[in-house]
Amino acid sequence: MTTILNALLYLGYILIYPGFLFCFFIGLLLCGIDRKLVARMQKRVGPPILQPFYDFFKLLGKETIIPAAANRTVYLLAPLLGLAALVTIQLMVPVFGFTAFSGMADVIVILYLLLIPALATIMGAAASGSPYAGVGLSREMVTILACELPLLMVLLAIAKSVGNAMGTGLCFSLSEIAAYQSAHGSLLFHPSMIPAALAFLLVIPGETGSHPFDAAEAETEICEGMLAEYSGKPLGVYKLSHAIKLLTMTSLFVALFLGGLGTGIVVLDAVIQVALCTVVTVIMISFVHAITARLRIEQIFKFYWTAVAGLALISLVLAWFGL
Amino acid sequence: MFKKLIEESTGKSPWLFHINAGSCNGCDIELVSVLTPRYDAERLGFQLAGSPRHADIVVVTGPITRQSLNRVLRTIEQVPEPRCIVTMGSCPQSGNVFRGSYAIAGPLSKYVHVDVDVAGCTPKPEAVIDGLALAAKILQEKRRAMN
Repeated sequence: MTTILNALLYLGYILIYPGFLFCFFIGLLLCGIDRKLVARMQKRVGPPILQPFYDFFKLLGKETIIPAAANRTVYLLAPLLGLAALVTIQLMVPVFGFTAFSGMADVIVILYLLLIPALATIMGAAASGSPYAGVGLSREMVTILACELPLLMVLLAIAKSVGNAMGTGLCFSLSEIAAYQSAHGSLLFHPSMIPAALAFLLVIPGETGSHPFDAAEAETEICEGMLAEYSGKPLGVYKLSHAIKLLTMTSLFVALFLGGLGTGIVVLDAVIQVALCTVVTVIMISFVHAITARLRIEQIFKFYWTAVAGLALISLVLAWFGL
Repeated sequence: MFKKLIEESTGKSPWLFHINAGSCNGCDIELVSVLTPRYDAERLGFQLAGSPRHADIVVVTGPITRQSLNRVLRTIEQVPEPRCIVTMGSCPQSGNVFRGSYAIAGPLSKYVHVDVDVAGCTPKPEAVIDGLALAAKILQEKRRAMN
């Protein structure tokens, strides 16, 4: 009896609350808020907040064209793989005290899972056989590589800082990081972690491929790059994945740096988490989008491996000396 | 289950793809001005798509020169159904001042079904938005007919 109930509970986790349905609504909502605010910052009226929902459902109703040169299976499965990986990450990110799935070293699992959506897009683009997609995917690979180093260093800095305080050396468990923060206050307010938080904030637009780091999807020069050949349902799934990635990256920031603001009531915590995610999205995606132009790919790489990695390194060194 | 939702959404999120078929660049600039803060067509959900595969509405400018005819038709075929074709300016509609020239293969309606004509040389942004909004309605009708 309990096993059946447990199975149902986990199914609920996967399909409804931190899982698919939650990601679907909140992700697209964040995307809509982003588009509206960018429009307002440019003195436009802007699309309705629900515009991403309209876009998604419209794409579901469009014809799906598969190019003759494409590898059918990979071309159609790649978007689903990326979506599944993102929802899986969302299941592991703690909502303050509550986690659907937790493990010994879920930080490392998340680090790998974060790569999968980008890799899936690259696979799909390569399978579509379009030269525009070819240019796009080579740029996407460089962008991933650029973001990966600072992200890794930030996570190491957090692991060391929390691990030192807990006396376990390195702590790679998100739920332990959350527990530590609820006992000792958010990591954002620890002086040694402020550079790491800044670095993580700067990684968010790179990981989600938004301005000014969207060289891989530059619609004006390479026809949206990797998505050039996609149409209809697979394109809709890609747009959905992009929206969910906003939620994933921002909720990861909230979990890593703003933990300990929870109340212990799951429903209230979820609302607080979504509100904080919105704030981070507005600051790091909308605001940055409205004031910047697109960077060239080597500028992106240089920026991440010098400025952002430097910030992360400061935190890492400070954490290593137990500050 | 989602039929109604998809139908509603199709009319609310039309993405544009712009083909220049020998235009003098006047209409091209006016089309871009439709998306600027002053006219802001994005409030109706319009967006410029980079690839014809993402588009719902194809906007054709220019008198369809013989050189561009095949490319225009091939590009239009790449747009997934349901799709709408809008001609912008007098050129693709009648040939305008180029009418009778040996270099012109137009009007476009000789080759494909054109849904909306926005006349003028160049049409005002208000007229373009009006035409595009009409095309979005036609798009919704076409989606309904697909079921």
